[in-house]
Amino acid sequence: MTLLIWTLLVPLLTAALGAIRAPRKVEELVIVGGLSVTFLLCLATAGQFLSGVIPAAFNDTLRVDGLSALVLVLCGFVGLLSSTYGVGYMRRNDARGLVTPRMRQEFSVLTPAYVFAMLLVAVSNNLGILWIAVELTTLTSVFFVAFHNRDTSLEAAWKFLMLGSLGLGFALLGTVLLFASAQGALGEDLSALHWTRFMAEASRLHPFTLRLGVVFLLIGYGTKAGLAPMHTWKPDAYREAPSPAGVMMAVGMLNAALYCLLRVHLISKAALGAEFSGTLLLALGLLSVLVAVPFILIQWNLKRLLAYSSIEHVGIMAVGIGLSADAAVYGALLHMTYHTFAKPVAFFSAGTLAQLHRSSNFAEIGPGTLARAPISSALLLLAALFVTGSPPFSLFFSEMMILRAGFSGPYVMATAAFLLALVVLFCGFVYQIGGLVLGQRPADRKTHADPESWDWGLVVTLIAAALAVVSTFYLPGTLVSLIRAAADVVSGGR
Amino acid sequence: MTPNFVILCAAGMLVTAYLMVGQKSLFTTIRLYGVQSLLLATVAVVMAISDNRPHLFVMVTMTTVLKGFVIPLFLMRVVDRVGIHREIEPFLNVPASLLACLGLTVVGYRVSTGFPEGTIGVTHHVLGVGLSTMLIGLFLMVTRKKAITQILALLTVENAIFLIALGITSGMPLVVELGIFFDVILAVLVLGVLVRRIVDRFESMDVSRLSKLKG
Repeated sequence: MTLLIWTLLVPLLTAALGAIRAPRKVEELVIVGGLSVTFLLCLATAGQFLSGVIPAAFNDTLRVDGLSALVLVLCGFVGLLSSTYGVGYMRRNDARGLVTPRMRQEFSVLTPAYVFAMLLVAVSNNLGILWIAVELTTLTSVFFVAFHNRDTSLEAAWKFLMLGSLGLGFALLGTVLLFASAQGALGEDLSALHWTRFMAEASRLHPFTLRLGVVFLLIGYGTKAGLAPMHTWKPDAYREAPSPAGVMMAVGMLNAALYCLLRVHLISKAALGAEFSGTLLLALGLLSVLVAVPFILIQWNLKRLLAYSSIEHVGIMAVGIGLSADAAVYGALLHMTYHTFAKPVAFFSAGTLAQLHRSSNFAEIGPGTLARAPISSALLLLAALFVTGSPPFSLFFSEMMILRAGFSGPYVMATAAFLLALVVLFCGFVYQIGGLVLGQRPADRKTHADPESWDWGLVVTLIAAALAVVSTFYLPGTLVSLIRAAADVVSGGR
Repeated sequence: MTPNFVILCAAGMLVTAYLMVGQKSLFTTIRLYGVQSLLLATVAVVMAISDNRPHLFVMVTMTTVLKGFVIPLFLMRVVDRVGIHREIEPFLNVPASLLACLGLTVVGYRVSTGFPEGTIGVTHHVLGVGLSTMLIGLFLMVTRKKAITQILALLTVENAIFLIALGITSGMPLVVELGIFFDVILAVLVLGVLVRRIVDRFESMDVSRLSKLKG
């Protein structure tokens, strides 16, 4: 058994163990322990790749190159972080009598299962298996969205599953068309859908069929990534999902879906040149950033605000990839890494505030949370500075990198619109969070805030914040070489 | 004779899609979906025999058993439990819907001429029918209000994609096809569970009532 197979097997086993009903402490230990081991295995697999051996299994159906290794490590990290926070989240709800044994069991099965599906996306070299893995992430996350079983969560789950399935239907059609564009040159067995073989045969693919396939694939996986105009499921789903699951969707799934888009983009680039899919990604990305602007300005709910911020960020990454310049691609991948560190802080602190006030609506929470829950509020403010890309924090640098590449390339007008939208988004987001955290709550409006206490969830939030701050000033050498390797794959198609 | 038979069955699928658009009884719509799946299986059988592609028989068996019988029976049971049997007035009335679908069919056929195999013979018709059926499925999805009809629309889109795959390739690799089947079944199960929960909550399966989340 190779390292790679163990990396996938451990979360799957953790999910199986989670299905067994056990005392709370044991369940918590299983989920956190299992996902810690998973994260270590992800690191080991990435290490193996960096040392020059390409980890592969099942006749190259699973294969790790630079891009896979980066996404693998980031997804493993997010899985560990959100399951650890999830333990605290469930304890809090437990203390208020909101958690049934079935809910806890559901949580400890779904979390590792979701991590498994994301890791499978990251390492699969086969476009068919890739599709199946993405569908698996959808099916597991729909239970997270419906987790609290309220009217609104059912509505969100329904919309999420319908839109997600439709998107995946498009992606399936795209995969079929891509397969057809090879006109039988790749054979009929499983290896015919290997990404590496498509890259090798790129010049012989039939252009019309390929173009149609690429469009369907970009729309399909774009739906999963939450690119506008297929983003409408996102605010609903993020609001209804428990905040640890929200992080996995907003960071893990976003990275995984972006990874799918990149794979498609690379095939299209090798066969048709960077222009075709690059322009499409640029347009979708720019649209996402622009769509986020009005909704952030008029937002009334904290978690929906974060969802629009996530739409903005996937837009930024898509723009970076779409610009196709080497520097922009590197910027986009760096942005993905920094975003993975920064977003959990926002979700965790917002989740804590929402739990303390038993609602995520601005009207119920704010203003003046700083007086009621000082630590979470301060962390939320910090996270707001991070995700809006304000200097001196990390996301500022990656955004600057993309912007510089944009202004020195052929898409100056698009980049200018992009920059303008980013500035407005910065103001809007900081205004919203500032209004929530600072100020004083009018005396005539009652609050039902529980006091903030030093529990597990708060500690994890603090650790996540520390990691985000450290990542701004210092990225470990291994991570930097992983980002370089990933950028090499995207720029050179190696 | 064989090519004509394939075209006949494929056209039958398009006809069932049209009938679904014109139909208001949920039971009939579910049965139409079953018939459509069986027609898809027939296309696959004929192709498997005439082009000597034995691995298609796995897909034929799965399609016949799962999509022809299991999924329709499961959906009928859901409808039975819920006790709502008719589609209410759709967002667009039936004559207008049929006219729109006619337009979609023309679009589907037009697109199918761009493929290398698309200009001549059987593949042209299979592709044209597949693309048109897919567009009609999408149309059905946006104009209907009942949760069950939306699921059926989704399944129609999925059937159409399989028909396109049959027409344009020699069938997807087996492992992938099995995985896709597995996922479709899971999706239908999850959707069924959601429908039951929605009906319990809202005492209706009118999804246009799911409109609290905005902004």
